[in-house]
Amino acid sequence: MKELNCRGLACPAPVLQLKEMFDKGTPAAVSVIVDNEAARENVSRFLEHKNFQVVVEPFGVDFRVVGTASAGGCELLEGSATVASPGAKKIMVMVGADRLGHGDDGLGAGLMLNFLKTLKEMGPDLWRLVFVNNGVTMTAEGAQAVPVLQGLAATGVQILVCGTCLDHFKLLNKKQVGETTNMLDIVTSMQLADSVINI
Amino acid sequence: MTGKPIRLTQTVKGAGCAAKLAPGDLDRALCGLDLPVDDNLLVGLERADDAGVYRISAELALVQTLDFFPPMVDAPYAFGRIAAANALSDIYAMGGTPKTAMNIVAFPAKTLDISVLRAVIEGGLHTMREAGVVLVGGHTVEDPELKYGLSVTGFIHPDRILTKKSLRPGDRLLLTKPLGTGIACTAIKAGMAGSEITERVTLAMATLNREAALTMADYSVSACTDITGFGFLGHLAEMVVESGAGVRIRSASVPVHPEVLEWAAMGLIPTGAYNNRTFRGKFVTFARNVPQRLQDVLFDPQTSGGLLIAVAAEEASDLQQALLKRGVTDTTLVGEVVAAPQEMILVE
Repeated sequence: MKELNCRGLACPAPVLQLKEMFDKGTPAAVSVIVDNEAARENVSRFLEHKNFQVVVEPFGVDFRVVGTASAGGCELLEGSATVASPGAKKIMVMVGADRLGHGDDGLGAGLMLNFLKTLKEMGPDLWRLVFVNNGVTMTAEGAQAVPVLQGLAATGVQILVCGTCLDHFKLLNKKQVGETTNMLDIVTSMQLADSVINI
Repeated sequence: MTGKPIRLTQTVKGAGCAAKLAPGDLDRALCGLDLPVDDNLLVGLERADDAGVYRISAELALVQTLDFFPPMVDAPYAFGRIAAANALSDIYAMGGTPKTAMNIVAFPAKTLDISVLRAVIEGGLHTMREAGVVLVGGHTVEDPELKYGLSVTGFIHPDRILTKKSLRPGDRLLLTKPLGTGIACTAIKAGMAGSEITERVTLAMATLNREAALTMADYSVSACTDITGFGFLGHLAEMVVESGAGVRIRSASVPVHPEVLEWAAMGLIPTGAYNNRTFRGKFVTFARNVPQRLQDVLFDPQTSGGLLIAVAAEEASDLQQALLKRGVTDTTLVGEVVAAPQEMILVE
């Protein structure tokens, strides 16, 4: 069990010291002594963010925050679609058309399908796929991409499909994969993502 | 002078507005004081508004406020600019025009070179020039930690005073600057904020609320305040208490400086945020899906934050457009005033 004594340290020193420890290598367990509530809260938040189980106990007049690395299985915050799996980057891919590149539409459609099939190589870093304009047609009944997208969704990738666009192409009730979304969610996703890729 | 630029945040314990006395403590110091009375006092201490207002004639009243604090950014000139903008903000929040100001300075002459103070004051003058305010004097004390701010006097028409307390059910709420400066300044102090975000947040804090105030003068605004040390929910609670109305906030709409949510999740949260939550938490109900990090940002103490404006529903869109056109580009609709539940803030 790694130990840190952060008594007498002004914010943000306790979290900084913890971060330095984690940068050198994730400990299996860590115990931090702090002498004020704000530090107790901040240290707890830091450890929870690293997906540790956190227990806080009184320690004389101070507090002792004990964090233990979780064995596996990460608890996503309820309703908070913004939390990514531990350590992963949040990559958002914005798909604005049903083909990739310009010049030859037939080639473009094939390239797009191939692109969607290869996206799984990003692993847990792939966070959200957003479909707009005629990109939404790939999520509808009969589209070749549907099983590929369903496969991605099954691994935890969030798929958002623009409602206005579905409506425009008269596909609102033909969507087979993903959640219908609006511009506010799309803009918020861009803000929360670590990187945004536009296709 | 050494080659390395000075890091003012490393010379102080508390950063900026996060250094405010805990609201509970302040309350105990002020509650029940025997205050002198005067018929010309239009807004005084009992009203706990952004500034004091004293009538001079039927068409003219004096507005008075002051603010000062330790540095929340590293560069002296930037600190001066921000502290001055923060002090002037309360006058704008009342609907007034600031005119004269005096420096308030605490300076560790034994540990910091006097050129640092010079740079801070020059930063303050930069902001005062932008606002058309004249510096008429000031006062300085020797102190282990640097602090800077202004005492400000302005003017207003007695019939056009905008207080915090007159919320109307149905009004929409507009916020003119993004939240998160307290958390960002904690990250700056920790050396974890890159130069781009530091510059962006510094500029946001140094920006006057002048354009916003001038724009809202032409609209049916029922109440207004500026978001500073008590955080978004703390200042909103001041508007709600004893107003007879309640407020619904759409948390996903509240503008936040981008990196701040991640820093909040990591625990880079100033003590002031926890104090604000302790003091006003009982007026706030969070829906289950509002993430902890966002709740923390909503209590994050702001330095020189934006104006929170309650405007008639039918004029809200026009006022928002007018503000955007006038360069107040972060103006966002964040919620509305409701008749029930009374004196409660629902955050969805």
